[in-house]
This record gives sequence, C-alpha cells and structure tokens, in this order.
Amino acid sequence: MNDRISILLDNIKQKKHHQFRQNIETTELKAFTQSLKEQELSDVLKSQKRLSWVLTKETPIILPEEKIVFTRTVCQIPEIFTDEEWNSLKEEHYIHELGRVCNISSNYEYTIEVGLETRKNEIYKALIKHKEIGNESGIIFLQTVLQAIDDVLNLTDRYATLALNTGRSDLYKMLNQIPRYGAKTFHEALQFFRILHYTLWASGNYHNTVGRFDQYMFKYLQNDLNTGLLDYDSAFELLEEFFISFNKDSDLYPGMQQGDNGQSMVLGGVDKDGNDAFNLLSEMCLKASLELKLIDPKINLRVHKNTHFNYYILGSELTKEGLGFPQYSNDEIVIPGLLSKGYSLEDARNYVVAACWEFIIPGNGMDIPNIAALSFAKIIDKSIKRHLDNCDDFESFLTKVKFEAKLELDTILSKIGNIYMEPAPFQSLLMNDCIENAKDISLGAKYNNYGIHGTGISTAADSLAAIKKFVFDDKSVHAKEIVNALENNFEDDPDLWQKLKYQAPKMGNDDDYVDNIAVELLEMFSELTINLKNDRGGCFRPGSGSAMYYLWHVRDIGASADGRKKGEPLSANFSPSLNVKVNGPLSVISSFSKPDLKKIMNGGPLTLELHDTLFRNRDSIQKVAFLVKSYIDMGGHQLQLNAVNRERLIEAKKYPELHKNLIVRVWGWSGYFVELDEEYQDHVIQRIELQT
Amino acid sequence: MTTKGIVFDIEELGLHDGPGIRKLVFFKGCPLHCTWCHNPEGISFCKEWIITHSGEKRICGKEYEAKELAEKLLKAKEILIDSGGGITITGGEPLAQSAFLFELIRYLKPISIAIETSGYAPKFIFKRLISEVDLILMDLKHTDNIIHKKYTGVHNSLIINNLKLLCQSDVNFILRIPLIPGVNDNKENMESIVQLIKNAKNLQRVEFLPYHQTAGAKYKMVGKKFEPGFDTNQTAKVWLDIFKNNNINVLVL
Repeated sequence: MNDRISILLDNIKQKKHHQFRQNIETTELKAFTQSLKEQELSDVLKSQKRLSWVLTKETPIILPEEKIVFTRTVCQIPEIFTDEEWNSLKEEHYIHELGRVCNISSNYEYTIEVGLETRKNEIYKALIKHKEIGNESGIIFLQTVLQAIDDVLNLTDRYATLALNTGRSDLYKMLNQIPRYGAKTFHEALQFFRILHYTLWASGNYHNTVGRFDQYMFKYLQNDLNTGLLDYDSAFELLEEFFISFNKDSDLYPGMQQGDNGQSMVLGGVDKDGNDAFNLLSEMCLKASLELKLIDPKINLRVHKNTHFNYYILGSELTKEGLGFPQYSNDEIVIPGLLSKGYSLEDARNYVVAACWEFIIPGNGMDIPNIAALSFAKIIDKSIKRHLDNCDDFESFLTKVKFEAKLELDTILSKIGNIYMEPAPFQSLLMNDCIENAKDISLGAKYNNYGIHGTGISTAADSLAAIKKFVFDDKSVHAKEIVNALENNFEDDPDLWQKLKYQAPKMGNDDDYVDNIAVELLEMFSELTINLKNDRGGCFRPGSGSAMYYLWHVRDIGASADGRKKGEPLSANFSPSLNVKVNGPLSVISSFSKPDLKKIMNGGPLTLELHDTLFRNRDSIQKVAFLVKSYIDMGGHQLQLNAVNRERLIEAKKYPELHKNLIVRVWGWSGYFVELDEEYQDHVIQRIELQT
Repeated sequence: MTTKGIVFDIEELGLHDGPGIRKLVFFKGCPLHCTWCHNPEGISFCKEWIITHSGEKRICGKEYEAKELAEKLLKAKEILIDSGGGITITGGEPLAQSAFLFELIRYLKPISIAIETSGYAPKFIFKRLISEVDLILMDLKHTDNIIHKKYTGVHNSLIINNLKLLCQSDVNFILRIPLIPGVNDNKENMESIVQLIKNAKNLQRVEFLPYHQTAGAKYKMVGKKFEPGFDTNQTAKVWLDIFKNNNINVLVL
C-alpha cells in the first residue's frame, strides 16, 4: 500500500475523523420526533423528514488525503415515532427488530449507471401515471423520493463547494458529475456508491449490504484500464480507499454487537447464464482486504464447480489473516435451493449474502431472512420430558419429536403477522419497481419470504443419538433416568453424565449413527415449512444459522441428553456441539455435508476453527484451500473458517488495550474481539479450545 | 494372520507431514526416550490414563486390528487422494510394531503412504520399509553415539546404518532434525550430518524442528515429570548455510 493509503488507514485507526462529529442532545432528537407527531404527517413523510433533517444537519468533511468523500458527522438519527406511538404500533403489528427496512440488498448498479437526474425523470413519469389513476398514497410516496434525491444533491453541492474552496478541483469536478449524472469512470462509480450507501445509513436503514460489487463495478474498471485512465496500481489504490471508507462510520451503525453491521460484499459465483463470473476486480478485492486487514467490507466468496482453485487459495490467504472471512457459499446448492422456493433462475443466479449468511436477491427481495429461530435443542428437551417414558422404540419417539417441532414452529409463527416497517423512500429508489409501482419497499417487493434459523442442530442430533443408543438399542439406561438427570442437571448421576457425554456418538465424526439423525431433523424442518405462507404471501425458508440465538436459546432449556449441562451454550451456526472433541476437519465436513442442504436454503455456515499455525506456509495454505473445496464438492452449502489462537484470545481478554486489532468471527460476522461483551468473548474462546 | 496394534491418536489434517491432505496415525510406544519428547503419551506401549487440565479422565491408547484401522483411515479417502495426499504413519515409533505396520500398509495401499521414523530398527525391517512406502520422514538427533545415548536412551549405530541404507535407495525421504539447544545444535554435528546425506539423490530436503517451550506441556497429563536435562530457556541455533552450501534444501518448521 502506498503512503496515501497508509495515512487514510491510520486516520481510521486513530479515529481522526471523530473530531468532526457533532454532539446532538437527546432533547433535540426527542423534540424532532415530537414535532413529527404534532404535524400529523403520514409515515412516509416522517421518514423523509428524518432524512432531510440528518442530511441538512450534516457538515461536509474533506480530509486532505481523501479522494472518496462523505463522512458522517451527525451521529444520532432521531426516531420518527414517539415511544407511545411505537407501543401502539406494536399492539397491532409484528415489528421486526427496530421496525425499519434492513438486511436487504440494493440495486446500486442501475442508479450509478444512469444518475439521479434520470431517476427523477422516471419519478416524474410515474407521478403522471399515478395521478391519472388517483393513487394518492403513491403520489405522496413518489414526492418523498424526489425530496430525498434533492436532499442528497444538496449535500453533494455543499461538498462540491467545500472542495472548490479548499483547492480540490478534482473533487469539485467529480461531484458536479455524480451523483446527478451516471458515473463514467471507476473513481466516479466508487464515489457514487459511497453517496448512496451513506444515504441509506443516514436514512436509518441498516445492515445495508454491498452485493455483487465485482460484477456491477467491473465495467468501469475495465473501461478505465482500456483507455489508460487508470493502471492496475492506481485502480487498486482507489479500491483500497473505497474499502477504508466502509470503516469510517461503522461504529454508528446499529447491530447486535459492534461489528454486526451487514456490510457484506459478495465476489465471484456464476453470471446470469451460469458461467463463471470471477474477474480481475474479484481478485483485487481479495487482495485489498488481505492488505488492509479491516473488518469491513466483509468478504463472501460464491463458488461453484468451475471456480478456479486460485480463488480458494486467495480466500485461504485471507482466512490466514484471522479476519474470519471470506465466507464461502456454494452456487451448486444455493441456486437450486432458491429455485425450489420460487425464485426465478435469473434472480437465483444473482443471489447475494445478507448481513450474516442468508441468501437474498438484490433489487427484488424484501425478504426478512432472520425473522425467527427454531430451537432444535428445545424441541428435544420438550419431547424427552413429555414423551420419552411412553415410547417403545426410537421411531415412535421421533414421531413425537416431529409433533413437538410442529407445535414449536406454530407457536413461533403465530406471533408473526401483519408486519409493519417504517417507510423507506430512499431505499425504495434503489429497489426494482418501487418507483414504477409507486410503492414503498417497506410494503414488500417481488420476494417477501421469511427465513427461520435453526439452532442447536448438533446438540439435538447428539441428544437423540444418546437416547437411541442407551435407551432403545442397548437398553442400558431407562427413560426415567434421563428425564430425572436432565431435571437436576446430572447432579445426582455423574456416571450417567459421563456416559452421555463421552460414550455416545457425536455429530462431526463422520458417524452415520448420529449424522443420519441430523439428516432427518433437517428434512423434518424443511417439510414443516413447505406449505406455509406468511402474512405477505411469501414462504418460509428453513436455515441452519443461529445468529445470537445460540446464547439466547440456552435460557429456555436445562441440561440436554448429550451431556451438555444447564447453561452451557449451543454451538454457533452449523457446527459440532461446543464441548465435543471431534476426529478432525475431514470428519466434520463429511458429517455436515450429509443433509440435503438445498432444502436448508436460508443458509447458515459450517464453521471450522483451525489453529493459526496451520497457515504457516504456502504449502499448508494450499491444503486449507483444498479442504474448503472438498466441503463444497461434497455438497456443503456454506462454509466459514477461522484461523485462531486461543492463547492470544485469553491474553486479549485480559489486556484489551494491547489487542485492539484482534478480529474474530462471532456468528455471521467478524468483529473486534475486545469490543465484544464478555459472554461472546467466552463463547469464542470455548469454541476454539475444543475444536483445534 | 491378524496382529493387533496400539495407537494413541489419529489426526485428520496433518499439514507438515508429507504432501497433500494427510491423515496422521500415531503408533503408541517408542524404544527411544528422548528427554525433549513432546508426545510423552507415545512412549509407553501400554494403555494409560490421561487426566486433562479440564479434569477429563480418559484412557490413552486404543488397540486395533490392521484392517479395522485401515478402514478408519480410509474414510474420506477421496479428499486425501484428490489433494495429492494420503496417510502418514508416525508415533511413537511405527517400526517398533513392525508386523502390525506392514499388515496395515497392505490394507492401505494403493493410497500414498508416508512414514515418520527414528530409524531405530533392525536392518531387515528397515529394508522392507524402504520397499513399501512412498516417503520416509527420518529423524536424526545426533551423530555422536555417546551423546545420542545420553539424551535418547539408545545408541545411534542402527539409526546411522539405516540412514546410509536409505541414502542409497530410491525412496524419497526428508531428514528431520530436532534442534535442541546446547545438545545437538552445534556446527560439528551439523557438518557430520551433511557428510552422511550429501550424496543422497533421493533426499528431498532437511527439515529443522527447533525445540519449543511447549514440549513439556503434556507430561503432567500422563503423570510424568518433564526433565529435559538442558536449558529450555535457550533458543536453538539454526545452521542453514552448512546445508545450503552442499546444495541441500532446508526448511525450518
């Protein structure tokens, strides 16, 4: 990296831009919300007024080294509803997370290509059409989008003026071109993206994903390289600056934990015709991430049967840096999975990854891929306590498990209905058909499906395997003993605990006895969702991810029949149980590729923790790359690897000041270890202890 | 004939023990007693109790019939084969269970087999080994017989003779030298090692394994005391030039 990039990187690390941040008093935020209420505006106008408020308050900042600008100075974004208003909304509606549009993927490509003036003209045309048909709410919506565009242009103009006044004619010239008009160069396209992405965050929308950056940006790069406007090095420098820009304001973005911000970038995969889509830009992105070692953007690699092995190597080199990415997803499994749920072939081939791992469609998807989670461990817990003693064989017990699973799913889904989200006029501009139909994205899009995570799959399979083996096969343990032991957390029966924990088969050892149970559980999950429809007419998508539920779901259950004691966490995502010592990574990938993962198409990666010493040289990186490719070839849907060193994590917990840059993968995202809550830190440490 | 063997571990992603992705199988029991040994559970030929630092008590050592072990090792063999890897047999000392070893090799073939050995075995066994495996990772600690005996418990004459035999054969081999500070990391030892191997056309490279502070970590687990007999705080000297000057590739692991 050159000096300019080093300075920009250092600025971020030293948080130099924080000095420009404005401190806005809570009273001012509350007063704004109150004023919206008093004006009795429609919801969509409230959303638009909020964006106007933020963008008007913004102060342009141009650091001397910057070629890609737009930095947040307004840190807090006001609510559009008072607490009272929220409460009454919650009485009538299901509210997902913050009640805002989030975790979808914008169609940046089109707007960057044509510019905002052209988009305005489209809105004018749509206005005429909707006035003719008397679509009042549609007209208001379109007007709010126009206003949002004007607010963005206004801030851009203020940036341009500052550029002129500070002798930055280069920036001045560029900001007069974009975002008003379409981007002509790679540099303009990057700056354009930055403005769009910045505005999404400023609108209060979050988990604003990046999508297939290497696909929609490649033509600009290629053109500049062909005309000689850029050479490889200057293009790479711009790309690195662009990557750095994702880390400027990320501490302001809402998420479960610092780092959980959804800035997922997807590289590679197949194109709309099914051909390999890796290109020079894909490779440059991997190299930029490798050099910068920043947690954003988070890299996802789409791979398929024709992916060149070199990309697995580049990916493994990135894994070696301990960033917790890339995360791999397998087109050969994901695309058929999406097709089976009614996605079109073109959309399925264009899938991207949401904030964590869920597969979503840019421009066309208003899916909520993380609306709820099914706790497999809880299902087994209930089945044991209610039915085990009355079952004569394992098959009849499994029937009861299915019964309980359906009950649990019904309970979860009964809470979801009549969903409400704050309107999102600017986000709507970046989604297909919203302008033409004069319909806000919060009201739905082409796809309105809901994803349900599945947590504790391995704990459930291990528990069932232990029951099958000891209660039904060799009949060495009575059902009642299991029920009692679970109820008193094995306190009266340490021998039974030893037996369940150490003598029963565990998932991850390539042992069909237990793996086939997991196969059956996932099959059951898939079947249960097949005919379900959600309140928006969409379907439900079963997944193998856990998100933060791996900690939350533990609170609902006691000890489990695999020897897990009360309070011990479940494993994150699709992984062996936390306290199980497995044979090794080959057995793990064999076990976890047995289920038909096309049916578990909401995603949720197998996580492999490899000790960082395994990445010592080129030769061993090749072996890791081969391991990844093997899981993909065996039919795995998604994989994420961590290069970890337990000693370093323990030290970092003790001396956070010395390890500010230590990055770990938490569930679907990477974050700085020292910024995590202790509970999550301990889980990461525990996970590593047993798997390496 | 069915022979039983005893194994203390199987690893699935040996990255530094031969080409490609390899499974590693550790034979239990070793005639040498190197004071720096980092696998103390691999020394005894018997099963023994292990108590881990987290309090888990388990038996270390599992008996297998050769066929049964081969089946276990050949699970997921496609990955091993496709990656250009295979099975690496290490220990302990695999040659100390030679009947079991050769029966296992018979069941494993045609997959690529590497073996890591101290070379401490009768000549006829070592000769047979050379004819049956694809790669030999051979250890050499010291060329001086007396020092060798002091730190490993055995004389080195069998080892040196077998190494000479290996150098004249056509099976690929890697010579591994543990670098023990103040014991064998001196110029004289390195020079005499070079003399032994410099004409071997089948030598792929020499690998140095510098002594690591964590070597003593497992002794408590098996109820033994770590008494290395040298200053463990010192850093071992690495002699690259002596080897490079004789056109021998060297790698520090």
